[in-house]
Amino acid sequence: MRKRIVIDPVTRIEGHLKIEVEVENGKVKDAWSSGTMARGFEKLLRGKDPRDAPFVTSRFCGVCFSVHQLTSARALDKAFGARVPWGGTLLRNLAMGAEYIYDHVLHFYHLSALDYIDIMAIANYTGKDKGLLSVKDKIVGLVKARDTYPLTPRYKPDEFCVRDPDVVISAVKHYIDALSMNAKARNMGAIFGGRTPHYQSIVVGGFTQYPDINMVAKFRSMLDEQAKFVNEVYIPDVLAFGTGPLFPLAKMGLGGGHHNYLSYGALEKDPEGTDLVFPPGIIIEFGPNNGKVHPVDQAKITESVKHAWYKEEKPQHPYNGAQEFDLDRTGAYSFVKAPRYDGLPIEVGPLARMLVAKDQTLLGLVKQGAKPGAVARHAARAIETKLVVDACSKWCDDLLEAMTKPGFKIHDTDHWEPPAVGMGAGFYEAPRGALGHWVRIKDQLIDNYQAVVPSTWNASPRDEKGVRGPYEEALIGVPVPDTDNPINVVRVIRSFDPCLACAIHLIDPKTNEIRKFIVE
Amino acid sequence: MRATNYHRAHPVSTAKTVVLGVGNLLLSDEGVGVHVVKRLSEMSLPSEVEVLDGGVAGLGLMNVIMGADRLIVIDAVKGGADPGSIYRFGPEDLTEYADGVTLSVHEIGILEAIRLSEFLGHAPRTTVIGIEPRSMDTGMELSPEIREKIPRIIELVLDELS
Repeated sequence: MRKRIVIDPVTRIEGHLKIEVEVENGKVKDAWSSGTMARGFEKLLRGKDPRDAPFVTSRFCGVCFSVHQLTSARALDKAFGARVPWGGTLLRNLAMGAEYIYDHVLHFYHLSALDYIDIMAIANYTGKDKGLLSVKDKIVGLVKARDTYPLTPRYKPDEFCVRDPDVVISAVKHYIDALSMNAKARNMGAIFGGRTPHYQSIVVGGFTQYPDINMVAKFRSMLDEQAKFVNEVYIPDVLAFGTGPLFPLAKMGLGGGHHNYLSYGALEKDPEGTDLVFPPGIIIEFGPNNGKVHPVDQAKITESVKHAWYKEEKPQHPYNGAQEFDLDRTGAYSFVKAPRYDGLPIEVGPLARMLVAKDQTLLGLVKQGAKPGAVARHAARAIETKLVVDACSKWCDDLLEAMTKPGFKIHDTDHWEPPAVGMGAGFYEAPRGALGHWVRIKDQLIDNYQAVVPSTWNASPRDEKGVRGPYEEALIGVPVPDTDNPINVVRVIRSFDPCLACAIHLIDPKTNEIRKFIVE
Repeated sequence: MRATNYHRAHPVSTAKTVVLGVGNLLLSDEGVGVHVVKRLSEMSLPSEVEVLDGGVAGLGLMNVIMGADRLIVIDAVKGGADPGSIYRFGPEDLTEYADGVTLSVHEIGILEAIRLSEFLGHAPRTTVIGIEPRSMDTGMELSPEIREKIPRIIELVLDELS
């Protein structure tokens, strides 16, 4: 018997996503991913001074603001012919490094971990650790007051959820500690970013704010604190879960998908930009005998709108993309377009990056029997957080060294004026995956602008050929023994770290009672 | 328009009172909170007051919220009243606050961030000044009737500060 389940909205993600699955014999038979919020911000950019684009695109999203700003600046670097000096690159990297650390830790503890633990097991903790006992008191107190937000799971814990009180209570303590680390990571980003949210210092040609030694020292001391948390708490937690209670899920490859992976590459380790923390590349049909990494050719990227609420007739390269909505389009079910590389759906994000980088820690887990899927995504995210932390430390050294050299520069001031005509594509790796911005300039103003964001790749609907997008394909075969409790479905979706936020932020109380607070 | 017009330099919060405008500048009236703080940041205010453009961030504002003793949030509020209506309430006034689900279109909005700060034991005394939007279409300008309300919203914020 087939049964359709609709999860709308998927909670504990950024933004608004609807997932529908059809379940037969306890497994997902088919799936549909719908971005239910319209986005069409790019058209706001037409006719504007191109130098405004990094600041406008920073407003696309409250989560990924700095990476939009940076990718936009990189598109302009190309279009203006600007060459970012090493000092500017280092500062961009450090500002982005803070963003990665913030984002990945938040995703694991606050958006995902609750899918894998039975929070109520805390009440059974019998240990004597004072810190943990205070966590127990806090949580038990909240439960008694019937006020367990934000820890309440949306679905019932299943057989894969950890119930060992010692493990659960330490995970919840880390959840609480991680909230403080997140707040500190935001302040760390602001040291070079100038402010947070929405950095102001990333512009075409480089960076605007000269660093001084005190800023570097402050950044480094905050980085050391983050590094300690990443190395001593986050990574051990992910590995303990992934190789312990969640190993059966890793072995079954829960949430695998097409196994096509793309990384545009990011985070330069040298002034020439040849050595990257995240190398670029593409893998088609990764498997036990295939990990071949191909070079990326951006000309092969198209966006199909056959199943999305847009007007275009056929797939377009992003340089030519538009955002005219067609809400009556037959067969459409999403505001997310369907990006394809050489006609293929592709997964982007930490798992893609670490596979493309042939990261030995991740490949070691694969050798032990973990198949690329939901659990591997969490592992890849933790592994690369450490790579970023270590790289940030090196960049602090590099920056101090560069600052002492005569003629230290952070900006290419010779290419500040927009060209009369030009085009440029900026590529980067956002925490959630490959991000591209494409700009066309005419009469020194923006003629067309297009962003293809990571969650567009991952959350995409079916394409011209009816081939499912990465979320959709990852859901096929996922066990749903109880259709009232599709916990595995949300585990798979959340493992991608969806961010469809690019949108609205208002307070919507869903009640008219708010009207008694009208003051005029 | 020059790039620098969108942003003013704000140090990370160390002040005791924070006036935080949030919203999306690209969705017309949804960005009213940011428009208001932009105006406020051009005014002379007591030195212990920090004015901050929180933009579209939700949970990413916890550093700001936890660093404040007193917090005044300015945001668009969809309460179904006439466009331009002004609300004043505390997070505790929202009856559906407890379930944490139906608060915002976003799963993690400003109220959730306040709630999590409370959970960590750092919640400032908070007042929300809300404005009923007219339009949330893609656009960078406010509707005329919302723009007209800005001086009055500023007066209400200043009342909170006195």
